[in-house]
Amino acid sequence: MPNIAKGLVYLLIAVLVVTQLYPLIWLALYSLKTNEEILSGQFFALPAKWQWHNYVEAYTNGSYIKYLGNSVIITAVTLICVIVLSAMVAYAITRFKFRFGPAVMLVFLVGMMIPMQSTLLPLMKIFSPLELINTRWALILPYVAFQLPIAIFILSGFMRSIPTEMEESAHIDGANVYRIFRSIILPISIPPVMTVCILTFITIWNEYIMAATFISSDRLKTLPFGIYSFVSQYSVNYGDIGAYMVMGAAPVILIYFVLSSRITKGMVAGAVKG
Amino acid sequence: MNVLKVPKHAIGIFILPALLLYICIVFVPILYSFYVGTLDWNGYGVSKFVGFDNYHKLLFDDPYFWPAVRRTFLYAAASMIEIPFCLMMAVLLNRYVRKANTLVSIYFTPVILSVVIIGQLWKTIYNPTSMGGMLNQALISVGLESWAHTWLAEPKIAIYCIYFVSLWQYFGYHLLIQFTGVQNIPSEIYEAAKIDGAEGFKADRYITFPMIVPIFKISLVLAFIGSLQSFDMVWVMTGGGPAHATDVLATYMYTQSFNSQEFGYGSALASLLVVLCLVFTVVINTVMNRIDKRFS
Repeated sequence: MPNIAKGLVYLLIAVLVVTQLYPLIWLALYSLKTNEEILSGQFFALPAKWQWHNYVEAYTNGSYIKYLGNSVIITAVTLICVIVLSAMVAYAITRFKFRFGPAVMLVFLVGMMIPMQSTLLPLMKIFSPLELINTRWALILPYVAFQLPIAIFILSGFMRSIPTEMEESAHIDGANVYRIFRSIILPISIPPVMTVCILTFITIWNEYIMAATFISSDRLKTLPFGIYSFVSQYSVNYGDIGAYMVMGAAPVILIYFVLSSRITKGMVAGAVKG
Repeated sequence: MNVLKVPKHAIGIFILPALLLYICIVFVPILYSFYVGTLDWNGYGVSKFVGFDNYHKLLFDDPYFWPAVRRTFLYAAASMIEIPFCLMMAVLLNRYVRKANTLVSIYFTPVILSVVIIGQLWKTIYNPTSMGGMLNQALISVGLESWAHTWLAEPKIAIYCIYFVSLWQYFGYHLLIQFTGVQNIPSEIYEAAKIDGAEGFKADRYITFPMIVPIFKISLVLAFIGSLQSFDMVWVMTGGGPAHATDVLATYMYTQSFNSQEFGYGSALASLLVVLCLVFTVVINTVMNRIDKRFS
């Protein structure tokens, strides 16, 4: 291949690195500038003086820790529920022989195509009399429900490939089905469970509209909702907004930095198997 | 295969908790939507049964409905057009870059961020010059002042600005899927082809493309279904405005339900959205399977 074409390929690859990353870097610079610098039009320039106090202001005015904590609690509870419930269903579908097995699978598969937003209004109406609105359950229940299909799909695919001999010998040794599930199936399913964790984490951690619809009390807001509120509230202090957005992005970016190959593999597995 | 003999109650214990939760949270609301869709109701006062009036109004008397449908499908088309480009990049990266994995991870970064952050970030980039918008500053600095716009505030171009951000965010996602697919093609096949005289683009034509079809198909389906359900990006960036100019089906449904308190009308829209998603998922899968068969 001629060198010019090769050069063009590298140029294209480099340009895409810039387009994909520069907006994020620009945000980081933006968060460290004064309003005057931001408005001056020097968008490529480094801040003249790094305005770390933007972060201090964003932190003190934005209840960052509170929203972060809410996100952590809600994501953690959702993760645990999704894993336990989906592993149980996946195991039952792949191993138990019962008449409705395929029907159960079909119910979950059909649900996969239902857009989450179309349930917002009816769920609002259902949750209100149960006094679930403005509680963490109003988010956790739908989050778990909507993550179940993909989780069941991934886990049942894996469990089908586990040879049954282990379970049979455990059965002969007197272990009942609950024991077999807990001591054999769950431990060897850890790799696909990790995939499920990654997919669920990315989706739930970033979810916005359900949180914004079912939660109104500031005490319970999750991070994406918190970012949205902060940005609309402090719309004149550009640097503070930038700082708050960087802080909002930081947890996921840090996790991605450490686990990037795991996360990309999990996302591909989720896409291809879903 | 010997299947475990389990007591009946074990089946219930393993399946029912998830199934009940799932039916209550996903199916009951959908059925409820179908029902409320036949009512004239503001959500609190007295409701009146009106049959298919809401649907009739939606399809024939609503000036905002069909444009929203058009934008939704245009969204889908735009997302699907991006995928051949992603495939091309995947092939190029695989061939010319030694540690392409790192690059793919970099391209992937926007995917893991919340749409709230991505949307707000791009909103800031699209800001008018007086508010420090980077895009206009960039255009001015290269002397293209006449190209500067108030992007998201202009009804004619706002929706395209939103499409672009979605394409930008999901570029890494589809690239990653295609890249993994290309990497999974066994290198022996290429070596054999090399001996037979097929290298470079010739090898792509006869090996890569036929073998990547199933993965390519997955990307197309994901992009299509994802776009039908698109909501967050539009909601964060414009909220469907200015004057409904960027409304897609899901945002229009949300506005009607929650902001205008037209619960019956909003539910009719929600029901339509559900039906549309189910029908088109089946349609696109059938179409793709047909194409798949032709290639294999």
